[in-house]
Amino acid sequence: MSDKPENFNGPGDFIDLLERSGYSWPKAIAGLTAIDKASLPQGTTVLAFHFKDGLIVAGDRRATAGNSIMYERCDKVIPIDDFSLMAIAGVPATAFEMARILSHNFEYYRRSQLQPLSTEGKIRALSKLLKDNMGLAMQGVGAVSPIFASFDKKEGKPYLYFYDILGAQFEIQTHTATGSGSPVIRGILEYEDLWGDKKLAQRDLKQAAKLAIRLLQTAGQFDSATGQARPEDKIYPVIASITGEGYQFMPEEELAALFQESTKRK
Amino acid sequence: MFDEPFRWMEAISTRHSYVQEKLKKGQPVLAVPYQGGSLLMGFTAQPGKIFEVYDRIALGSLGHPADVERLRMTLLDMAHVEGFNRSDKDVTIARLLQFGIAPAMKQNFEEVMRAPYLVKLLFAEIDFDNRPLFFRLNYDGHWEMFKKGAVISGNDKETEWIQKQIEQTDFASLSLKQALKEACRLWEEGKKQGAPESGDAEEQPMTLAEAFDRWTLEAAVLSTETDRKALYRVLAPDEIEPLKSAAK
Repeated sequence: MSDKPENFNGPGDFIDLLERSGYSWPKAIAGLTAIDKASLPQGTTVLAFHFKDGLIVAGDRRATAGNSIMYERCDKVIPIDDFSLMAIAGVPATAFEMARILSHNFEYYRRSQLQPLSTEGKIRALSKLLKDNMGLAMQGVGAVSPIFASFDKKEGKPYLYFYDILGAQFEIQTHTATGSGSPVIRGILEYEDLWGDKKLAQRDLKQAAKLAIRLLQTAGQFDSATGQARPEDKIYPVIASITGEGYQFMPEEELAALFQESTKRK
Repeated sequence: MFDEPFRWMEAISTRHSYVQEKLKKGQPVLAVPYQGGSLLMGFTAQPGKIFEVYDRIALGSLGHPADVERLRMTLLDMAHVEGFNRSDKDVTIARLLQFGIAPAMKQNFEEVMRAPYLVKLLFAEIDFDNRPLFFRLNYDGHWEMFKKGAVISGNDKETEWIQKQIEQTDFASLSLKQALKEACRLWEEGKKQGAPESGDAEEQPMTLAEAFDRWTLEAAVLSTETDRKALYRVLAPDEIEPLKSAAK
């Protein structure tokens, strides 16, 4: 009989189940020679902030590998469950796998334990995945720096967290951004919150979405790894919100109209 | 002991009788279509009759709670590992049954020195073309598929009558409210049809009023009207309350 209990991390843990079925998260690769990091695709700019009814999460669509544009329709804001979104910057292969594991983990817990995982549990789950990924992150082949946004139905309150690549979690009361274009927009977000017409948390969905569009366009001006919108090809940033009703992605038609409005001077 | 075929057959027959006796008081669970998806309902003394299995799959059950729980967890494990390793589109009841728990249950039932599963399971699924499908799994691993809805119950007479009524009712054209009302009516009428003729004292609720008074109505839907990936939703108390009031 194995010394290891069947549910190592407690009942309802999908990662335990995966490991029992033969899956294992890749560890640091022994003897890995120096890798040309520029050859690895990278996600670029994502941001999130509190608005009047909850949280706005947005991201550009470009994935790059060094100076090359690899993909212009990358979705970097990923639904995890009905009340949680993860926005990714870093290596997409690792980030998408983390999102898939998290999504199955939350749903498996909810279904097996007949209650949703607590918001704190969700936040810790992502931190644990990042910590388990430390080896690859330090080798430079699997670093991910995500934003996690969730609405706690019981408390009726949104939670926004930023993580570093090693799994440290930081609760955000106003705004956050990550990825190569983030230094450009963090200053603007702070400026808007301090001296804009309204504080970020007082803006309605439309005002918040307009700001997100403008911020990503601005990031694209200064950072070649951040993709600007290309209306002629129907490529727009991803804008999602989370409220007490769950997450909602802005539909493409609405986004197209809002983009036109957002990119005209008043 | 079982080296002669007759002995083995006798043991299997005894086992059927034993399990059926144990399941005799199992209350009906109905799964029917409605305009916006599929509805599962059943009255229960203890919570734990209807469950979500995966994004488009729900489970109704009767029998020993420990056995229901064991099979429910097996289904959840299989569905989630398959959905993760392949795709949610590869998770179907037919696959879970045919290649998963049905053969295991048959084997368990025929290994006469092992304790049998004391369960009957009912499944509802909405396929990716938004068509409702229904399945029934017996304690011996035998399973059947239904298009118009299905029922499980510990009482064969009750099961046959309700199943026949489900086949004759156009549930798919009803609203959720109407479908729930009609399912409750079939539940109550089915109890009457399945009542023993000898007039044995029946301790269980036989009418909707008694059932609402002593038990809890568990009801859930797989809704095609949601834009979420997971279609399962437990009916809210305010959706059940009108039926409760009307039954009094």
